[in-house]
Amino acid sequence: MFEQDMFTTETATLSTGPVTYRKGGDGPAILHIHGTAGPNHSTVLDDLAKRHTVYHPVAPGWDGTPRHDAVRSVSDLADVYADFIRTVIGGPCDVIGVSFGGWVALWLAVRHPNLVQQLVLEAPAGLRDPGTGGLPVDPDELHRQTYARPDRAPPPARSKDAYWINRRLRDELGAGISLDQPLLEALPKITARTLVLFGDRDQISPAMPAAHRMRLGIPHVHMTYIYNAAHALEFDQPEKLTALISAFFERGEGFLVRSAAAAG
Amino acid sequence: MKFCYFHLMPWTDLDEAPSQWPASNASFSPQRAKELYDGYIDSMVFAEQCGFDWVGCNEHHFSPYGLMANCNLIGSALAYRTRDIKLAMLGNLVPLLNPVRVAEEYAMLDVMSGGRLVAGLIRGVPHEYIAYNVNADESRARLREAVSLIIKCWTEPEPFGWEGEYYQYPSISLWPRPWQRPHPPILMSASNEESAEFCGEFKAIMGLTLIADLAIARRSIDIYKRATAIQGFTPPPEYILCGYNTCIMDDDAEARHTLEEGQRYFHRVLMHSIRDAQRLVITRSRYFGQDQVGETFVKRLVALKERTIDEQIEAGSVFCGSPDKVIQQMKRVHGELGNGMFNLNFKIGNIPDAAVTRGMELFRDKVLPAVRDL
Repeated sequence: MFEQDMFTTETATLSTGPVTYRKGGDGPAILHIHGTAGPNHSTVLDDLAKRHTVYHPVAPGWDGTPRHDAVRSVSDLADVYADFIRTVIGGPCDVIGVSFGGWVALWLAVRHPNLVQQLVLEAPAGLRDPGTGGLPVDPDELHRQTYARPDRAPPPARSKDAYWINRRLRDELGAGISLDQPLLEALPKITARTLVLFGDRDQISPAMPAAHRMRLGIPHVHMTYIYNAAHALEFDQPEKLTALISAFFERGEGFLVRSAAAAG
Repeated sequence: MKFCYFHLMPWTDLDEAPSQWPASNASFSPQRAKELYDGYIDSMVFAEQCGFDWVGCNEHHFSPYGLMANCNLIGSALAYRTRDIKLAMLGNLVPLLNPVRVAEEYAMLDVMSGGRLVAGLIRGVPHEYIAYNVNADESRARLREAVSLIIKCWTEPEPFGWEGEYYQYPSISLWPRPWQRPHPPILMSASNEESAEFCGEFKAIMGLTLIADLAIARRSIDIYKRATAIQGFTPPPEYILCGYNTCIMDDDAEARHTLEEGQRYFHRVLMHSIRDAQRLVITRSRYFGQDQVGETFVKRLVALKERTIDEQIEAGSVFCGSPDKVIQQMKRVHGELGNGMFNLNFKIGNIPDAAVTRGMELFRDKVLPAVRDL
């Protein structure tokens, strides 16, 4: 069961417009950037919120929220999140980007390196080869490719119409690009220590060659496969995600060293 | 048709069957074992001169059944005493081992041999799970994850971590990577319907051993082909490897007598305590996902033990006889199964090494020329 009650819904006024967000927990801040579908509350957020303050904004225009005129691209959207970090969180924080949100998070870390302390990318978009991966149009195929463990898939968080409005917005900002060449060239500007996670069965954001590109471009990066997971890592393997992300955010480079707790 | 010369490296000097599993090692002599290793490795090197395409060995624990706790050590010796023959490790029992270590050792062997490794990734027979104290219920799931991880170890171009159900590694980067690209050919056991499907799913070479009945073997092959078809892969004939205990002598009577004696030692001494341990695992665990598969496994062992040589030949379980007879038997099995590879074990039980060598010479001079083009 989700523990969404521990999250409250609030609205912030940023320089480009209002942003609705959910906030929960207590401790060092984590900004969670959702993917194409929109915010999907997973137990990973609940578990992270036990030791962190988790901010989960709705990207402007998603789920019927007001669009911001200034947001015309993925990097524009990244600037909105930078404004959110400065205005709402009040300073640098750890960031999680999911799928399309991973693409946004990469631009955020490139354009505002001083605001991103540590970065986790879950099946990030934006760096795959043209003609590979991507979101299927057929709903059944989309569901099949999203979840390796369909028994763990959440109930739909929105209507099909609402999903497609969100998805068209993503297509508009992403301009139909699968490989963001300017982003690829800018990856060395990222200063945040980065953990990239891919499901070993992900066909939507296949790990290769995107992971290879990040490995070559981002100065401090680790890549980990989540076994028996497709695209929706937080739903296919929530316990694994929580453990990995917590260890990475709390122990930094030390997450590579097996801890007594993990060993138990 | 291609051929693998396979060796179990049995301990040949026991007078009595061990009373229980694991077999007591009180009578083990390191000096005698050194003689056996020397002779067995010489025999495997000789296989290259006899025209075999592969030379193979495997892994067993805590038993005189085979002196190969780690077949990779034998493989590394063979790498420097052979030139072209493929080194078929048939194979490492990956659910019992550290899969990253398996990937590393296999990569070493592939590089050391200049790309001659055939990598067996095997679940292992039931009693090995007692030996290494691994939950047999998890054997199939562990194999699935371990094989996926090993393939990643061989193919990832950059360091990566693995967060799995049974295996977790924060950062892996193999040195050396394998010689063969994208990775060495993989062989898996496919001796029952469950494993045949699994093998096909991974597009691996299928290994059929202990064939008790050609119809059952054919069904496994059909299941394997269906599973590979789902993967969009049509396996060539050499992807179907059928294992045979083989005894070739100058005349039929001599071959039957030699095989009978070797099998008597094999079943009475080498297999005695193993059978008890296997029954224990099969009845007290979910090693076989379906009860029916476990029953079939036990029945097959019993059938192989109780049949006469003639019955075994008739059932397509062994090759035995003069070169002409063995040629006929091979042609018949090939006609029934359509396989492109035979895995031949000449050292059954305590068959004398001289008889093994004679059989290999007859294979080279008379059998191989007649069946190579099958």
